[in-house]
Amino acid sequence: MTPVHATFGEVAAERRIASVPLSHVSVELGHLYMEDFEAGPDRLREQFRRVAPWLATVRSLWRERVPGGRARVSTCFLVDDYFSRFSTPAELVPMVLEAAAEHDLSIDYLARESACAQSGGVELARLVEDRLVDDPPPETDGSRPPVKETGWLCNGSRSPRTAPLQAMGKARPWEPPAQNAKRGHSIFVDVELWDEKGPRRTWSCPFLAAVWQLLRLGLLRSEGRVPLPPVALDGGWPRDWDGLPAVVRLNPQAAPFSAYTTLSVLSPRFLPVELAVRTILSQVAVDDEVLRQVATRSESEGVRLEEELVDRISYVFV
Amino acid sequence: MLVFAISDKGGTGRSVTGTNIVYRHALQGNDVCYLDFDFGSPTAGAIFSVSAVARGTPENGLHEYLRGECPQPRRVDVWAESDREGLRTRPPGAGRLVLLPGSEGGGELSALTDEIVGRCVQLFGRLEEEFDLCMIDVSAGRSFTAELVLAATVRMPAVPFRWLVFHRWTRQHIIAADGLVAGADGLLDVGSRFGHDREDLRDRIRFVRTAVLEPDAAELVGLRDEQRAWLSACDSELRELAGRHGVGRTAMLGKIPLDPVLQWREQLITDEDVLASKIANAETAAAFDELAKKIVDDSAWEGL
Amino acid sequence: MLVIGEVHTGLLQNSGEISESTCRQVLGLMAGESVRVSRRPIVHALSPERLTGVDCALPAASRSRIRGVGTVVSRCAVTGGRVAQGSSYVRVVRSETDRRLPWSHYLSRPGVVEVLGKAKAADLAEGFTGDPAPGCLDLGAVSGRFLDLVQASPLLDRRAPFKIPRTSLRWVAETGEPSIRFTLHTEQERTLRLTHPGPFTPAVVDLCEDLATHDWLLTSLLVIVERARIGATPGAQAVARLAPAIDHLMHLWMPAARVEEWLTPFWESLERRPGFTRQWRSLVDRVRDQVAMNTLALLSATAEAGRR
Ligand SMILES: Nc1ncnc2c1ncn2[C@@H]1O[C@H](COP(=O)(O)OP(=O)(O)OP(=O)(O)O)[C@@H](O)[C@H]1O
Ligand SMILES: [Mg+2]
Repeated sequence: MTPVHATFGEVAAERRIASVPLSHVSVELGHLYMEDFEAGPDRLREQFRRVAPWLATVRSLWRERVPGGRARVSTCFLVDDYFSRFSTPAELVPMVLEAAAEHDLSIDYLARESACAQSGGVELARLVEDRLVDDPPPETDGSRPPVKETGWLCNGSRSPRTAPLQAMGKARPWEPPAQNAKRGHSIFVDVELWDEKGPRRTWSCPFLAAVWQLLRLGLLRSEGRVPLPPVALDGGWPRDWDGLPAVVRLNPQAAPFSAYTTLSVLSPRFLPVELAVRTILSQVAVDDEVLRQVATRSESEGVRLEEELVDRISYVFV
Repeated sequence: MLVFAISDKGGTGRSVTGTNIVYRHALQGNDVCYLDFDFGSPTAGAIFSVSAVARGTPENGLHEYLRGECPQPRRVDVWAESDREGLRTRPPGAGRLVLLPGSEGGGELSALTDEIVGRCVQLFGRLEEEFDLCMIDVSAGRSFTAELVLAATVRMPAVPFRWLVFHRWTRQHIIAADGLVAGADGLLDVGSRFGHDREDLRDRIRFVRTAVLEPDAAELVGLRDEQRAWLSACDSELRELAGRHGVGRTAMLGKIPLDPVLQWREQLITDEDVLASKIANAETAAAFDELAKKIVDDSAWEGL
Repeated sequence: MLVIGEVHTGLLQNSGEISESTCRQVLGLMAGESVRVSRRPIVHALSPERLTGVDCALPAASRSRIRGVGTVVSRCAVTGGRVAQGSSYVRVVRSETDRRLPWSHYLSRPGVVEVLGKAKAADLAEGFTGDPAPGCLDLGAVSGRFLDLVQASPLLDRRAPFKIPRTSLRWVAETGEPSIRFTLHTEQERTLRLTHPGPFTPAVVDLCEDLATHDWLLTSLLVIVERARIGATPGAQAVARLAPAIDHLMHLWMPAARVEEWLTPFWESLERRPGFTRQWRSLVDRVRDQVAMNTLALLSATAEAGRR
């Protein structure tokens, strides 16, 4: 008898990673906080007026870049329902859509900020937190756990402790913190990721913004599945934010929500937040398999992507 | 099992008794280790007669480890590295006997940081995996070291631990030992502040009387009747005092008689010291042996 | 150039073996990533992989300073609900530049450490399996911490049936003419040099972990048999000391169970020399004989008592 070749498989022992449809670019038309809302619809109109020309520019740039000119561009808008709750979807969303329409902007997807913390049983923020890999200062050999300030993330090494740890020991002179990738001089950034009052953890705005970028880049998976896929809303706008899906598809013809790259058009007051976001994103290790999926896909349609994640994110501050 | 050895006052016999208990426990067939957390004066190496680390180790000592200056603390295999002939071969059936020395020239901890507690937890967790008994000499009195181990044990709730409080059989010592446990900012206070359950912690603490001279001891044979009567009166007065201070018989795990050898030199009492050279008293060795058994005997540790 | 790794293996700190579902919880080291479990021929659970950033000297036998930057991949495993492991490795490759790049560059190459400047694979392989100088890449420390993570899980009762040291296996894998060399150093330290045909795949890591598991089993059974002092103590006492091995270790021997077919010849050659399974069998037989003899003695003693 010839030897029998046996194969044996166990589903639970294999890892499956779903793929996600991707646009070329996801453009964030705005991010609405309570203070903007309180300032009235004029503030919103002003925002859209500033955004409109940039959206047009991005579209034409991508049309040139994509073979055949079939650029897939999707737009999105984020409402803060995490740090403060204001108004209701039923009241707010139509107002936003109207203000956008006045400048010929169509919002394809509307998302809730709290979904970046958790939604539908998926704690996206935890998911990203567990994927942080600290940028090691030189001489990090793995022999000790990474130096951590609980709830904080920095881009280098903090000032060492000066007080001695030993009775009658010498105190160390003060030393400045240092950025790992400094060019001559440091720009040291230390970002608070969350704080905890009692059992409740509040994620910081830059951390949720980092999650938001990863979601838009289609780089997150939970148990191999794509978290928070956009949902079309049938029926009217709910009276309560919790009744609203995490990401709502407003335009049935819209290009996919997630994209190879993102562009955010923001007011310059968000500059420090976005520096913090980049500090975080440059230390997130995205799943290997997901990165490969995106790379294969983009190559197959002739789009060359920046190798590093932070370089796939761009901004216009106006 | 982690066993913390503490005393209120210095020079009570904590180190000598602790090391002898550990030694006896090893002879009883268990794998044991001794951690010299007496950072101000780490001299356990001398008691084990390992001259290379008699006053702590020049490199990779426990302080350095806790301060994050070395990845792992040095381990000394006493059976292999002791200078004493009688200790240098592992007796048949004996377990491993390992010393983790402190750092030479080290000083008491002057602050407690989260990293230090984390390192302490890692150390205890790993040692407890491989040793039946880990004795930690926490030094004398209220110290950051005592705080450290209280904080560390809160973080490892499933790891069994016990405390031994050493004291001499005198007025001052009895009052002080009680104060260290139950007094303001004592072990129970600080422990419960860190998150230990006060009653549970109390159940894990026992007292050990060191260098005890019994009124009927052989050493006292030459005394005059008046002297003997006076000693006897003192002893019963102390017993009464101890009872009032919660340091009495029920809370006592054992007592070690005064021994001429230990009075002159800090060392392990081997069977050879008792049987061959006959310099040490058989009662002393027997008391260590007994304590080494009781320390893991749950019936000796039932709630008070 | 080469792949280097280190596996730490220990007894899971729990009174009994843990169930598959507990394994899943204990090994759930990353939100949103599931634990991979295979059930045949023995339950084996593998945690999701996590990364640790490093920028340090690599161990070189020549003691020349070779700087590497990148990420270490680590994971934990529980075999048979009883044996726990922390395992880390890196693929060492030459960097295209001489300076350190932005961190995101290294994050897009998980498990790769790039060497800045010149280095020889042989020098690194010798250095890593030799006696690495302090301050060099310490994969053992990383693996040790991952194993701590498992052992400190609140789901474990920490009442392990016996005390036993962890063992460490440091390994180097290179591509070339197939060969394998397994070396025992101190009581707890082992090294493995492996040359395999074709490019490196994670299956090589599986092989190293499988070898580490079995080496630990063998080492631990030896310790328990030694502690029992067969012949020097009364039979019943020796058998009582052997009991934990019977209850917790003896059914776990499944060499090469999870090793990909193309790598099984490596296991087989180790079976010829030094012969892991041969030694295991002889120990197991010894334990069984002791138990049988003790039972016989008990039976005849009872019979004797009955006759009287
Ligand atoms: N049972 C005993 N009989 C006689 N002398 C003893 C006995 N136990 C300890 N000693 C002696 O008492 C002295 C103090 O003992 P030891 O060094 O063990 O105390 P300690 O509490 O560890 O002190 P420190 O706080 O300084 O570390 C030593 O000289 C020791 O030999
Ligand atoms: Mg002392």
